[in-house]
Amino acid sequence: MSESAITDKDPALRVRDVAKRFGSVVALDRASLELRRGERLALLGPNGAGKTTLVRCICGRVAPDAGEIEMLGERLPPAGGRQRLGFVPQEIALYPDLTARENLEAFGRFHGLRGPELRQAVEWALGWTGLSSRARELTKTFSGGMKRRVNIACGVLHRPLVLLLDEPTVGVDPQSRERIFAMLDELRRHGTSILLTTHQLDEAEQRCDRIVIIDHGRVIVAGTLSELIEATVGPKRRVTLRLAAPGPRPEGFRAGAGPLELVAEVGDVALELPVLLERAREAGGEVSDVDVRAPSLQAVFIHLTGRELRE
Amino acid sequence: MIGMVVRVGLLRMWHGRVALLLDFAVPIAFFTIFAFIFGGQVGLGKSPRVNVALVDEDGTDLSRKLLDALAGQDTLRVYAPEGGKGGPVTFTAVGPARELVLQGGLPLAVVVPRGWAASFRGTGTDASDIQILADSSDPVATQVLSALIRQVAGQIRAELARQQIEAMLGPSAAPFNASAAARFTRPVGIEVVEILAAGKASPVVSMYAAGIAVMFLLFGAVGGAGSLLEEEESQTLERLMCSSLGMTRLLAGKWLLLTIVGVAQVTVMFAWAQAVFGVDLLGHLPGFAVMTVVTAGAASSLALALAAACRTRAQLNAVAIVLILTMSALGGSMVPRYVMSGTMREVGRLTFNAWALDGYTKVFWRGLPLRALLPEVAVLVAAAVVLLLLARLLARRWESV
Repeated sequence: MSESAITDKDPALRVRDVAKRFGSVVALDRASLELRRGERLALLGPNGAGKTTLVRCICGRVAPDAGEIEMLGERLPPAGGRQRLGFVPQEIALYPDLTARENLEAFGRFHGLRGPELRQAVEWALGWTGLSSRARELTKTFSGGMKRRVNIACGVLHRPLVLLLDEPTVGVDPQSRERIFAMLDELRRHGTSILLTTHQLDEAEQRCDRIVIIDHGRVIVAGTLSELIEATVGPKRRVTLRLAAPGPRPEGFRAGAGPLELVAEVGDVALELPVLLERAREAGGEVSDVDVRAPSLQAVFIHLTGRELRE
Repeated sequence: MIGMVVRVGLLRMWHGRVALLLDFAVPIAFFTIFAFIFGGQVGLGKSPRVNVALVDEDGTDLSRKLLDALAGQDTLRVYAPEGGKGGPVTFTAVGPARELVLQGGLPLAVVVPRGWAASFRGTGTDASDIQILADSSDPVATQVLSALIRQVAGQIRAELARQQIEAMLGPSAAPFNASAAARFTRPVGIEVVEILAAGKASPVVSMYAAGIAVMFLLFGAVGGAGSLLEEEESQTLERLMCSSLGMTRLLAGKWLLLTIVGVAQVTVMFAWAQAVFGVDLLGHLPGFAVMTVVTAGAASSLALALAAACRTRAQLNAVAIVLILTMSALGGSMVPRYVMSGTMREVGRLTFNAWALDGYTKVFWRGLPLRALLPEVAVLVAAAVVLLLLARLLARRWESV
């Protein structure tokens, strides 16, 4: 892909109506999404929704039956031509019997780096992952978080403009998650656009600019968290009152999960919550606890994909 | 709880039915192969026949009688040119028969030298022994042939003695049948000429070194090629396929690595054979290098094709054990092919163990020049190319779907 062909108007990645069928199973059903420049986009969906197939289509590992994929304004062929793309698989796809440095050197070379460029990239990656002092140790001796960091580093040595990560923080402790997202922040500051699949909804909520939810092979919603909430469960807060003893249900409340719980939705907490508390008191109820919750991505996700188990 | 341990073990075996089947099938398969190798046919107890060329330099009635009697022995198969179409022949000069033995066409030739009949009758001036030109890679065959010649020549000599006694004594010679007359005769002289082993230290060891080396070359190559399946399992292959590497370069790299390791493995084996058993590696370096490179290349291609065809490492191991042990048994890595029947020898040529071992035998045993390795090199190079292409074709399943 030529540098001159790239314009700032083009998104980093555009997937249009991509379809893929494996036998009788429809894996992707005209799925479309857009990853903007410098954006961190979360791709969510239940197991079997089509996330992995979509990522593999973008990587060129699965040839779509229909649709097209563009990177930086240029249409990608079904396979190959993805030198500016980075991919980090969900598994620790390293050679466990090589050291961290040897792994980085190998994958850097496989991504086309050589000579001083490769050496610089390896040194940068060791510093970036915080593993310079462990560079000569076999990766099989590393903790889960350290392996994850090397795993990510092996996918970005060639400084891709678009990075795909398949559940990059699965099975790591909170400290390692923080470190991994700090690493991704650094990449983004240098212009890398990031698409990550995850089942950690808090990561998508707090660490991503926008969210795409896919189900049954179709992208069913895309936008910022507030856009998704607005479009699905609505922006109202959920207020739950717990009473000290059973009493009559005041106006504006409905029954909660237990006999002592009352539930209501409010748009403006500051204005409406005192009114609700007053009503409960007037009805003779003694309020022992109040819980106010903003609508969450979890609520949006369940609203859109249901509670039914998928596997 | 002990019962549950047994139950869990049985259930796991049941869930891995292919491996279970192999546990039972492999011993039966190998028993059958070895029964064919050593028995000719199962249950019939037939011994393999010794291939031999006959040379009659003497050209007398007596020499013809001796060679005809030898040709009539069930244990011997007399050389017949053009695959036996023209029937057995008796050479009149030693040259062609000697060449046949030198080239590995036959293990033995019987030469009745000029003047043998006269010497045998005791009328000649010089003692003249029957010669056996031997490729002593098959020492048992030499012993069998010597015994047969002694037996046949002894019978002829006894018959001659009986005739002489009868001529001298007339009717009163009746009690002297051939058997009784044999007691008055001296043993037949036989000279065994080792035409290949002269000056060589432990020549048979080179054959075993090659046999074992080729078998373990195959095991080593399959072990190395199995890394493809490990890479698939750990998603490393997925990552590699997303890089600039590509499947063709990945397979080429793996093939080169396996070939280099294979060459090193066989070289170390022969270096040990030279150091400990006196195999002359340094004296045959060019031939050894050619055979080792082409054999390691073919083994690497086979291993990669197997790995690309199998779905799991366990499946690869099971298939490799069956295939490699079968090829090694038929191809001469476990038992020399000269002890096998003609049919089994022909079947063995379907394995590249046989071609590799034939090549090494030409180098270390027969001391033939490099150009004599052409058939073996051609077959092994062709096998390497075809199997590598097959591996590439099968590896398409790891590419874009």
